[in-house]
Amino acid sequence: MSKLSRHEAMEKLVAESSTDQLFEKPLGQWRLALRRFRGRKSGMVGLFLIASLILVAVFAPLIAPYDPNEDLIGEQDVRRYQEPCIHLLGCDRDQPQHLMGIDGNVRDYFSRIVYGSRVSLQLGFFTVTLALVVGSAIGAVSGYLGGWFDNIVMRFMDVILGFPALLLAIAIVAVLGPGLRNALIAIAIVTLPGYARVMRAQVLAIKESDYVAASQALGASPMQILVRRVVPNAMTPLVVLATLGIATAILEAAGLSFLGLGAQPPLAEWGSMLADYRNQVFTAPHLVFYPGLAIMITVLGFNLMGDGLRDALDPTLNR
Amino acid sequence: MKNTFKVLWILVVFALIAAACGGDGDSDDDTTTTTQAAATETTAGATETTAATTTQAPDPDFAGKVLDAGGCEYGGDLEKLTAVDEFTVEFDLCKPNPAFLAQIAFGVFGIQPEEHLEATSGAPLDNPVGTGPYVLEEWVRGDSVNFSRFDDYYGPQPAHSTLVLKWATESAGRMLELQSGTVDGITFPGTEDLELIETDPNLSLLSKPEPNIFYVGFTDTFTPYDNVDVRKAIGMGIDRQQIVDIFYPVGSEVASHFTPCSVENGCQGESWYDFDPDAAKQMLSDAGYPDGFETSIFYRDVTRGYLPTPGDVAVNIQTQLRENLGIEAEVVQMESAEFIQACSSAGTCDGIHLLGWTGDYPHVTNFLDFHFGEGVAQFGGGHPEIWEPLAEASGIADASVAAPLYESANNAIKELVPMVPIAHAGAFFGASAAVEGSNAPPWGHVQLNLWDNGTDTVVFMQGNEPISLYCADESDGESLRACGQVIEALYSYDIEGNVRPQLATECAPNEALDLWTCTLRQGVLFHDGSTFDANDVVVSFTAGLDASSPLHTGNSGAFDYYSYLWNSLINVPEE
Repeated sequence: MSKLSRHEAMEKLVAESSTDQLFEKPLGQWRLALRRFRGRKSGMVGLFLIASLILVAVFAPLIAPYDPNEDLIGEQDVRRYQEPCIHLLGCDRDQPQHLMGIDGNVRDYFSRIVYGSRVSLQLGFFTVTLALVVGSAIGAVSGYLGGWFDNIVMRFMDVILGFPALLLAIAIVAVLGPGLRNALIAIAIVTLPGYARVMRAQVLAIKESDYVAASQALGASPMQILVRRVVPNAMTPLVVLATLGIATAILEAAGLSFLGLGAQPPLAEWGSMLADYRNQVFTAPHLVFYPGLAIMITVLGFNLMGDGLRDALDPTLNR
Repeated sequence: MKNTFKVLWILVVFALIAAACGGDGDSDDDTTTTTQAAATETTAGATETTAATTTQAPDPDFAGKVLDAGGCEYGGDLEKLTAVDEFTVEFDLCKPNPAFLAQIAFGVFGIQPEEHLEATSGAPLDNPVGTGPYVLEEWVRGDSVNFSRFDDYYGPQPAHSTLVLKWATESAGRMLELQSGTVDGITFPGTEDLELIETDPNLSLLSKPEPNIFYVGFTDTFTPYDNVDVRKAIGMGIDRQQIVDIFYPVGSEVASHFTPCSVENGCQGESWYDFDPDAAKQMLSDAGYPDGFETSIFYRDVTRGYLPTPGDVAVNIQTQLRENLGIEAEVVQMESAEFIQACSSAGTCDGIHLLGWTGDYPHVTNFLDFHFGEGVAQFGGGHPEIWEPLAEASGIADASVAAPLYESANNAIKELVPMVPIAHAGAFFGASAAVEGSNAPPWGHVQLNLWDNGTDTVVFMQGNEPISLYCADESDGESLRACGQVIEALYSYDIEGNVRPQLATECAPNEALDLWTCTLRQGVLFHDGSTFDANDVVVSFTAGLDASSPLHTGNSGAFDYYSYLWNSLINVPEE
């Protein structure tokens, strides 16, 4: 097969294209990504799960039949650890309906699971946002400035990365004291080096590109170049990382709560709910099954969505 | 360069292998321990007791030893312990002690051969030598403690030749083992499992009527708990019946007094306040807190007979305080040792704390004096209205004579509210129905030598691994249960909870109850083959009580029960 010259290839392309196509405005990077994302079934399943979860969290007061922290002692004839009672599945209609049963403090477990989605989502989003903002800023400045500053900052990040994340988070919470806010800070601290490293790698590549050189030639200040040229073009992998990071953050927060270092009673949080009833795994399995299932669905949703985003934003898959 | 890396890798691998195989010289002892080794050490290390206060008694026929406190100024209860002859010891006390027999029956006062204590420098942590029905064979760390029958035991021989003590922290795990038949008995099944055990024809539920108390405590040196009306309002504003109904097993009851009524003189005086949220709210308002206040509820997530579900009870009390009194409380879970140190020993918890007590010996002093005696920091500075009658009563042998004093103390407790008594819990063990002679005594440890499952091995499962097997310096039930199979004290408790002679045949007091003369059982052999005599008693007590003795080593060195039950250690170095 003979190789076409550049000019011949251009003429062939023009001949094969309709006039409309030729003058159609090219799709932007994000619109292209969205189009590709819609084509990924697993990503869409993830998006559906997350969207459902967000809706549950937002409309929790409407969905949950009871206050998650109020016990039903004296109000209903229910007992601790009572198994789920669902009228549609044959539970006696004289009995009050509790879709996920009753917990050890005689509270409706479904209401607690529903409200628990708020805590988990807030934790995931806030933690990742904090880590993303701080980590990206550190990585961007470090990568752009380079030299001794880059060396010191990145070695510090390496030190943090050298510790197992959950172990370091436990150590930080042990210093700050248990509680949801401190757990959030701890998880953000242990995850931010990942964002810093990715951002730095992106910046190192981008700052050598022609358009950055052009901006420099036009007299733009380093800050302008960093904020307007480099960072926006470096965000793509960070978005993917952040989406996957939410899942990790939720898991780590659940882990900290499981260890009694995260959410404190009576706050409904899935990890602490798991921990509270781990001893009832054989006698009241629903009390560990539902929070476990909720954590699994949430993490799965973010992972699927993250995978879909990665595929959609990956330029090597741009075919 | 490539070769250099190869060499480096080989060095690293060898270093790892060496580290895994080597360790320090005691590494084998960390995993398994045999009593044979202990016996060898015992004979090799036999020397005269070197305790500063141990001197020879003036008996020409027997080189009896003496533990002499040099008077009573040190603040403790023991003035002198003398080995009068080979089979007689004398406890010369600083003040009358009517609870003496019940006290020395406690397992921490177990007797070991003086040679063994000397050979182990006062720290036989994993190689106890006693006179009990079992000989320690092996402590497999993280798995089990294995015992074999002591064929020379003077008491009833176990029907089985091997006893295995295992552990599982979660009650669900213990229950599963019991149901599957891999163990013959378990301690403290979960409240939710009691019905399962009762209805299962293959299992039997053993009621353990241990006297205990669960209470909500205040350290009254912190605001607002320095105001008695605040404490009283909380005392009236918590629905204790609700807590018992929801969280406690059958056999539990709302506490009318701090001490259970099964302990003589425990229930003298007025019963606790009835639940009255309106009056409580009014009282809180009059005390200057019409809208309540913010505080913390400190607790440890450790299951005990008196508190089967700590987390749930903490949340319930949090809810009740909010709903009944408008008090917003943050629930703070603390690590167990830190909690005990801060809230109980040091009295530095600035909120309310959830704690309880299981009786060590059947006397009211064990409940009241420990908690409300002079100088106890847990509830703040203490109140003379409480500790003065207690101090007076503790020296009176006749329970009926002491009764008015305990009534006075209990009434003062109700009036001053250093704590709110919540519940006396029913406690249970579970056992295979095939076991004959299964027991769960109210006092002392489970007597596994009486268990007979028809096989050669009995397996019992408890909640945790023992901390050490030298119970003179331990206070947890798991350690005491393990070493109780090996070590015996001068007296013990039978399965009904009655005090009975064990290594002593009798301890008789003088009229003033401040001199107790114990006649020892003759012909008793220790597991190492040595003969039990009076010097073993003196040296065992010296190791526990005399802080200046080279044998006063133990595990942590705290010897809590010696310090508490004898009021003070001897020769405590000044800080």
